[in-house]
Amino acid sequence: MDEAQLIKGIQQGDRKSFQILVETYQRMVVNTCLGIVHNQADAEDMAQDVFLEIFRTAENFRGDSKISTWLYRIATNRSLNLIRNNKRKRFFQSIEETFTGGRNRTSEISESRGDQPDQNIADQQRSDLLHRAMDRLPEKQRIAFTLNKYEELPYQQIAEVMEISLASVESLIHRAKKNLQEQLLDCYKKKCV
Amino acid sequence: MVSYIKSNKMKTKCVHKDLIFYLDNELSVEMRAAVEKHLEICADCRSFLVFLQEGMQMIEKEKKPEVSPFFYTRLSARMDEKPEHQAQSQWVRLAQPAFFSILLVLGIYGGLKLGSNASSSKEIRPATSSIQMLNDFEDEPIESFLLDKL
Repeated sequence: MDEAQLIKGIQQGDRKSFQILVETYQRMVVNTCLGIVHNQADAEDMAQDVFLEIFRTAENFRGDSKISTWLYRIATNRSLNLIRNNKRKRFFQSIEETFTGGRNRTSEISESRGDQPDQNIADQQRSDLLHRAMDRLPEKQRIAFTLNKYEELPYQQIAEVMEISLASVESLIHRAKKNLQEQLLDCYKKKCV
Repeated sequence: MVSYIKSNKMKTKCVHKDLIFYLDNELSVEMRAAVEKHLEICADCRSFLVFLQEGMQMIEKEKKPEVSPFFYTRLSARMDEKPEHQAQSQWVRLAQPAFFSILLVLGIYGGLKLGSNASSSKEIRPATSSIQMLNDFEDEPIESFLLDKL
């Protein structure tokens, strides 16, 4: 079944076509979300939201671009929205903590640590460091970098997903790498790992 | 000539800022050679290169994760429950702000009403009424009070 048939099926509400689409692209969508939210459970929830949105809005898909481009676009937007919401939550949580004396914070940290019990501590520290550095990147740099590094997308496809020029993608990824390197260098000098 | 000067400078100056591009193989042949030459003599840059490499390798380790085998089952279940939940959340989304707006308007109205009642009752009350108690002498002069005692 080619892309056009798949989309036509989904537009007609055919669950089988939708299942084929999900099974074909689920790993790609989860991986993209993971590159932005850095948590497997959140990434899977996010990927489910992406597919639900695809199912609900399939009739709007005109077929100008590939399904994967459409999926990447929704996945990156939704992941960024989640991060914005989390930032807002953290802000209110920090206010709450000033009143409760930070009693809720410790349980949350231990939960997130328990996600990957097999990883050794050094890897976990490196991973945390890299995630922190990536989270500090401006949104567009982060999307371009994630699509390039996690999904290994060529610059041309990133340009299509982000609806910007090829030169802009090159510039975004170059600046993202420079920023990441600066942050890692700062950490290296302070010996934080 | 320029590259010669650049490579000479690199022999002494740290190349921290080029290492991420060195790792990604994005430097020109000349620059790459110059960085490699510098790395031979600079232990600090070598150490940072290892640090950087280990950090960036984390992406390779964590990407392309195994997706839960129940991914579609869960998604399918969510699709079946979605319309009811959505209708409910839509109702809540409309009703909640409306309820709080009405509450706010009622609160403001009540406050204004209470305030105006308080100020109008103050105006109606004559200013002398509180002093009237002090003027009891007018009704019963002290002379007659003393005469009664006698």
